[in-house]
Amino acid sequence: MEIINNLIALLFFPAGLFLLVLGLAYEWVDRKLIAQFQNRIGPRWFQPLADTVKLLAKEEVVPEGVNVALFKGLPVVALAGGLTAALYVPMAGLPSTYSFQGDLIVTLYLLSLLTLCMGLAGSNTMDRFSLIGATRTLTQLFSYEAPFMLALLGPAMAARSWQISEITAYTDGRWLILTQPLGFIVALIGLMGKLELPPFDAPEAETEIVAGAMTEYSGKGLVLFHLGKSAEMVIGLTLIAAFYLGGVANPLYFILKTLALLFIIAGLQSLLARLRIDQTVGLWWRYGVLLVLVQWLILIVGQRIIL
Amino acid sequence: MTNRKSENMQANGKSERFIVPIGPQHPALKEPEHFRFTVEGEIVTNAYVRLGYAHRGIEKATEQRNWVQTNYLLERICGICSHIHSTAYCLGVEKLAGVQVPPRALAIRTLVAELERIHSHMLWLGVAAHEAGFDTLFMYSWRDRETVMDILEQLTGNRVNYSANLLGGVKYDIDQEIADSILEGIDFLEERTRHYLEIVTTDALFLQRTRGVGVMTKTQAEVMRAVGPTARASGVTRDIRVEAPYAAYPQFPARITLATNGDVEARFVVRIEELFESHRLIREILANLPESDLRARFPRRIKPGETIIRVEAPRGELFYFIKSNGSDKPERVKVRTPTICNMSSVVKLAVGHQLADIPLILAGIDPCFSCNDRGVIITRRQNKPDLWTWEQLRQYGIGYYDGNNK
Amino acid sequence: MDMDTIFQTAQLLVEDMAEKIEKPDPDRMDVYMKNPQDLVSAAAGLRVKRLGYLAAITGLDPGVDMDVLEVLYHFCTASVTITLRFQLPKKSPSIPSLCEIIPGAEPFERELSEMFGIKVIGLPNPEHLYLPDDWIEGDYPLRKDFNRGTISV
Repeated sequence: MEIINNLIALLFFPAGLFLLVLGLAYEWVDRKLIAQFQNRIGPRWFQPLADTVKLLAKEEVVPEGVNVALFKGLPVVALAGGLTAALYVPMAGLPSTYSFQGDLIVTLYLLSLLTLCMGLAGSNTMDRFSLIGATRTLTQLFSYEAPFMLALLGPAMAARSWQISEITAYTDGRWLILTQPLGFIVALIGLMGKLELPPFDAPEAETEIVAGAMTEYSGKGLVLFHLGKSAEMVIGLTLIAAFYLGGVANPLYFILKTLALLFIIAGLQSLLARLRIDQTVGLWWRYGVLLVLVQWLILIVGQRIIL
Repeated sequence: MTNRKSENMQANGKSERFIVPIGPQHPALKEPEHFRFTVEGEIVTNAYVRLGYAHRGIEKATEQRNWVQTNYLLERICGICSHIHSTAYCLGVEKLAGVQVPPRALAIRTLVAELERIHSHMLWLGVAAHEAGFDTLFMYSWRDRETVMDILEQLTGNRVNYSANLLGGVKYDIDQEIADSILEGIDFLEERTRHYLEIVTTDALFLQRTRGVGVMTKTQAEVMRAVGPTARASGVTRDIRVEAPYAAYPQFPARITLATNGDVEARFVVRIEELFESHRLIREILANLPESDLRARFPRRIKPGETIIRVEAPRGELFYFIKSNGSDKPERVKVRTPTICNMSSVVKLAVGHQLADIPLILAGIDPCFSCNDRGVIITRRQNKPDLWTWEQLRQYGIGYYDGNNK
Repeated sequence: MDMDTIFQTAQLLVEDMAEKIEKPDPDRMDVYMKNPQDLVSAAAGLRVKRLGYLAAITGLDPGVDMDVLEVLYHFCTASVTITLRFQLPKKSPSIPSLCEIIPGAEPFERELSEMFGIKVIGLPNPEHLYLPDDWIEGDYPLRKDFNRGTISV
């Protein structure tokens, strides 16, 4: 029985099929919103799905001079990382499937796996655009990762636990965005950096380096990376909504709160011009980290005073 | 991939260099051209450009066409500044033939040229914003550009190659209805342009990408022979409309737009402010349109002689040298387009910048590669037939890929 | 500087090197130069006196039966164009490069050399600019005797 439950959790809900479908749906919402902000019509609802099916049906070209096992294996690992992370997150308003003390850290690292895989995949090929893209991807990873993680640790400190289920139990009904606004901002912008959305899309800036680390990927490999990214977007939005926006205790809250966050992200994407990679790094280490540390200071001092 | 890599390295002689090839096919380029940037990390240390991918042999082709056909051929040098090429040619040939063009025709030519400048600059604004990763500005400016495209279509029936010019005059007249819709469109565009000027001078994130990037000093601009808005952004007073007025510019004088910083931001500002100048000129021409015929009689053969004509295309000074030998065909038509002048500045400016700034610097001169590459012939390589049938082409393609997959 | 001053200064500058000086249009001055070797000094003189920037280099082939090629260097300032004209023998045409004093002349000179087969001495990078790299040696498209493979219209 337990095996069947585990299999369901892995293949259908919360990871697996459910997450993939939700990821595609959110990708569509994101694209549609940006299109509307930019005075365009935007894609129809099934466009991300159609892209996926099309790419799956296409030939996967393996370029010369790559380690074939790595080239084919990395997309799978990247997607698996994203899907595994979903097991520890309260998806769709239901409690997380698995839970243990410290699973917040594990989840955050599982989410970074995708970026690491992209960096590796880019440096695996001999293409110049891929190599530069990979360098930029990894540079960006090291700039946003610390502030993003520290921002998500703020609620953990407030809840005095590093277990996602305990934190969400604490934040349920408590809108931490009011007490930790700086942390919320850094977390949300950090998520944009993680997803390489504009203005942090230097790693895949098409006018400079075509598709960055993904340049040599086609067909299945490409679609797996894309799916991994969509899954990561859903998980990231869920985590931020659960931690900062009063919890996602039921499916309705889950949908409303994550979509509200997505709306903000889409707005920021269409408002801002792309940053150069050195500007991105400067932004995170100069302002991102500083903001989070100020937030922590306030938090710690506040807790001392209250207790 | 490996093959191409070693080939590039050999061309530069040193194998440890990291070269980023941009083009002939690349998302940053809307037309085929080849650049090679040697980078150290993100910093560009050397740049190289190879032209010729859009060569169609137009200069040679003019020798086989008569004076009238050449007009239509030259209009097709460029898809964006098509009218100005034909204007330059017509003005030159009219000068050679000693034909006096009616004033109304000259005014309409100038009007279309200014409309074309608006359409070209707005197109550039969108492209440059896209290169900087600011797609929202791209989408909005191109939406608004449709207004001027519609005006041109209403006026001439075409959106790109207007073929408004004839030797000795113009084809289309402006009546009250068209004049009203032009004025209405210009009012709308002026308001939008003001908005864009505000964006490119105040948007903090966008300014990070444009301010102080690709700086070309006034001296550099003069030495590198920059022309057009690129030169004016560096404070060089060079605008043929002002220096050597042609067509109807003596009656409707244009004012020069200058900036002093010489960076990408200044190039944005100069081009956007030129839009206001174009709006003003269009209003003035429409208000004072002279009454006359649209066309003068034009001879089929033109007496021998040479002439030089310079006009201000949207991208800068356009230079035509036309030689007639007394027949119904031109002996030689030499075209020197603005982009070729500005191209050398790109190569020099790129060095020392970040790779991420290259698309913006490149876009900063508003390159037009088809203009650049008018010159030569149909491809005739060694030991290959001149013309290929479809089947031969197909076989060549199959053979090429078979050879590469071994 | 008004037009007359420009013309006068230019005339003084190039008089010694010129065979004859013509003014086909009010705003143009054609200087027929005696010796191609004078190009650099004449261009340098024009630059020092600020009599224009190099606007274009035009190559001319007067005809199949003529044994010369003409090269025109157009210098423009305001509305004035000063043209230095050189006649080169078709057998072995060569002319010194201007790149030393006018770096922007490079693309023009490369075009000139590949289209007309004029050897530009001292050109830093004599590779093809427009034509394919495997273009047939000694085949110059803008010469009048080149018309094979063209379609008549």
